[in-house]
Amino acid sequence: MIATIVHTNELLQTIAASLIAGIGVTFLFSVGIWGASQFTELSRNERPLAATAVAIIGTVALLGVAASVITGIVVMTHK
Amino acid sequence: MNSDVILFLVVATALAFDFTNGFHDTANVVATSISTGAARPQVAIGFASLLNFVGAFISISVAATVAKDVVNAEVITPTIVFAGLIGAIAWNLVTWYFGLPSSSSHALIGGVVGSAVAAVGFDAVLAEGLVGKVLIPAVVAPILAFLVAGFAIGLSDRVVGKQRPGIVSRGYRYGQIVSGGLLALAHGTNDAQKTMGIITLALIANGTLGAEADPPFWVIASSATAIAAGTYSGGWRIIKTTGTRIIKMDAAQGFSAQGAGAAVILASTHFGFPLSTTHVINGGVMGSGAAKRLSAVRWGVAGNIMVAWLLTLPAAAAIGALTYGVTRIFGTGALGPILVTLMALSLVVTAFARRARGGAPVEATGT
Repeated sequence: MIATIVHTNELLQTIAASLIAGIGVTFLFSVGIWGASQFTELSRNERPLAATAVAIIGTVALLGVAASVITGIVVMTHK
Repeated sequence: MNSDVILFLVVATALAFDFTNGFHDTANVVATSISTGAARPQVAIGFASLLNFVGAFISISVAATVAKDVVNAEVITPTIVFAGLIGAIAWNLVTWYFGLPSSSSHALIGGVVGSAVAAVGFDAVLAEGLVGKVLIPAVVAPILAFLVAGFAIGLSDRVVGKQRPGIVSRGYRYGQIVSGGLLALAHGTNDAQKTMGIITLALIANGTLGAEADPPFWVIASSATAIAAGTYSGGWRIIKTTGTRIIKMDAAQGFSAQGAGAAVILASTHFGFPLSTTHVINGGVMGSGAAKRLSAVRWGVAGNIMVAWLLTLPAAAAIGALTYGVTRIFGTGALGPILVTLMALSLVVTAFARRARGGAPVEATGT
C-alpha cells in the first residue's frame, strides 16, 4: 500500500539528481574560483607554467559548470 | 451561460493567484542575491521576473499532477476550483500581511482539497497523488535542500578556504548571477505550472477539455505572464525575513543555497512534484548557515516560519471549504462566485490600503 502511494523510484532519482547537481556544481565553481585565485598568486610570483596549469584547471571547472547547467535545462525541456 | 461566467471567474482568479504567487515568492528567489550584495534589488527582481516567464514554458509535468493527480476531475466543478483558489489567495494575503513566508503551492492545493471535500466528501481526493506527489515531496524537499546546501558549502570551504577572501567573495557574487537565475527559472517552471494545472482542471471540469488534455498554449502563456508580473511587483516585506533574519549570509553561502534550491526544484519538477520554492530555498539557506556554525542560524525565526508552513495546508483548506459553503448559500449558479469575488477584492484592497498606511516597504539590508 505504502509502496504504491510513495513514488519511490522518482523520489530517489530526484534525491540523487539534486545531490549530484547541487553539490557538483558548487564544487566545480569553487575549483574555478580556486583556479582564478591561484593564477593571480602564481603570476605575481612569476611562475608562468604553474599559473597556466591552474588557469586551465579553473577554466575546465567553469566549463563543467556551464555544461551542467545546460544539460539540466535540456533534460527539463525533453520530457 | 452560468458555467461560462464561473469558468471566466476561475481563470481570472487563477491568474490573480499566479500574480500573488509571484508577488509573494519574489523574496525566496532574490533575497539571497540581495542580502549578499550580489545584485541590486531592482536588477535582481527584473532578472528573476524575466526568468520566471521563460521557466514557465519549459515543462508541463507539474501542471499534469495538479490537474489530474490531486483531486478527481470527474466530480470537480468550476465552483469547487474557484472556492479553492479563494482559499489559497486569502491565506497568501494573510501571510504576506504579517510578513511570514508560507507556501503558495500548498495553499493552492490545500484550498482545492478543502473545497472539494466540502462539496463532494473525501471521495473527491486522490490520496495516492496527494500523499505521494505532494505531501511526501513537501517534507523531503526542504530537508534535501538543507543537506545539499550544507554539503556544498562544506566542500567549497575546503577548496577555497585558504584563498584570498576578496577574490573568493567576488567570484561567488558573480556565480550568484547564475545560481539566482537558475532559481528564478526553477521557480517559474514549478509555480506557474500549478496555475496552469488549476485552469486545466477547471476546463476539464467544465467539459471544455478532455480528461487527459494538456494545458493549451494560451493557459501556459497567460500563467507565465501573470507570475512574471507578480514577481516584478515584488514582496519587500518577506525579503527581510528570508534574506537576513534566518541567517547572515556571505556570497558563498548564498551561492550554495541558491544552487541547492535550483537543483532540488528542477529535479522535482522533472518528475511532476509540485513543490514550494519557499520551503526549498529556506531549507537551503538554513543548510548553508548550519554547516558553518549552528548558532549562525536564527532558529527562533526559522521555527516561526515552520509553524506557518505547517498551518498552510489546513488553513487554506478551511478557507476553501468555507468559501465553497458561502457560494452555495446563493445556489449553484454564478451569483455565489460573483459575490465572493467582490468580497475577496474588497479584502485585498483593504489589506493593501492598511499596509500602505503602515509605512514604507521594508528594505533588504546587505550583510
